Amino acid sequence: MDIDIIELSKGSAKFVLSGTNPAFANGIRRAMIADVPTLAIEYVNLYDNTSVLYDEQLGLRLALVPLTTDGDYVPQSDCDCGAVDGVGCPNCEVSLRLDVEGPKMVYSGDFISADPKVRPADEKIPIVELKEGQRVMLEAIAHVGYGRDHVRWQAGVACGYKHLPTVEVEPCPECGNVLVECPEHAVFMARSIENLTEKDELKCIKCGNVRHIFDLTDPSLKVTYDQHTFVFSLESDGSYSASELILKAADVIKGRAQEFSDILKDL
Amino acid sequence: MLPVRCFSCGKVIASGYEEFKARVEAGEDKGQVLNDLGYSRYCCRRMLLSHIEMVDVIAPYQ
Repeated sequence: MDIDIIELSKGSAKFVLSGTNPAFANGIRRAMIADVPTLAIEYVNLYDNTSVLYDEQLGLRLALVPLTTDGDYVPQSDCDCGAVDGVGCPNCEVSLRLDVEGPKMVYSGDFISADPKVRPADEKIPIVELKEGQRVMLEAIAHVGYGRDHVRWQAGVACGYKHLPTVEVEPCPECGNVLVECPEHAVFMARSIENLTEKDELKCIKCGNVRHIFDLTDPSLKVTYDQHTFVFSLESDGSYSASELILKAADVIKGRAQEFSDILKDL
Repeated sequence: MLPVRCFSCGKVIASGYEEFKARVEAGEDKGQVLNDLGYSRYCCRRMLLSHIEMVDVIAPYQ
């Protein structure tokens, strides 16, 4: 199995994963979306809310703010404290306070966190606009959770992959039309028929637009998909960097495989 | 208030709304601003394009 990074920034990544099968690629994708634990606000103790939003609406907005996640926290279900009704211990929960008086826009950056390592990943998310005399005072409790339970814990955003397309072209009189039909010359970088083979297959979106030019049995143009190579693209919501997210997803799969193998050994 | 995340993909979009609003009001092209902000998918783009701000409408009735 090989990985070629095409793009890697803090918030997003694009890479080619080769020499594996669709089951594994999909496993990684699903792990990034649903199985990487993150911190998110789950309970809110409201002391004052005279803003235009109902308590529930405010709670929902707060929950969706991504928090930078530190590996020290454990999900409540795995915590030794035996959390009851969401009341846990310092190992499984973080408290963030918010006390703002209008007129002012409340931003995610206004949170005061009990743990300096846990803070909103994006400080500029508007929570609610307060008018003169309005006030929001609350304590939010963040827990570790999984994306499969609620979107607030979903670390991977728009994680997806496609098979690597392989485009083979033999220059022919019809090839000029291929250039026109390929959306914005995505695949065929060349502007003339002679050097049509100059192509960027990673950009192929499998549009199939060229099919009406070529009979599918025509050997001049062949578009096939490599079943063992995947072009991944993903974004992180900010709770982890993109590379951390990929690594953690791989760890999740590894952990599960280990668990499975341990169970089989005990049989 | 603009939803914090895109309904479809889950990307955090609210953080770009103020810049979007200010630049569009200054006369810039909406599509170009969305490109600059990095909202490349149409699910995220419609969140900003179709948003109607209600806070000022509701506030007097609090």
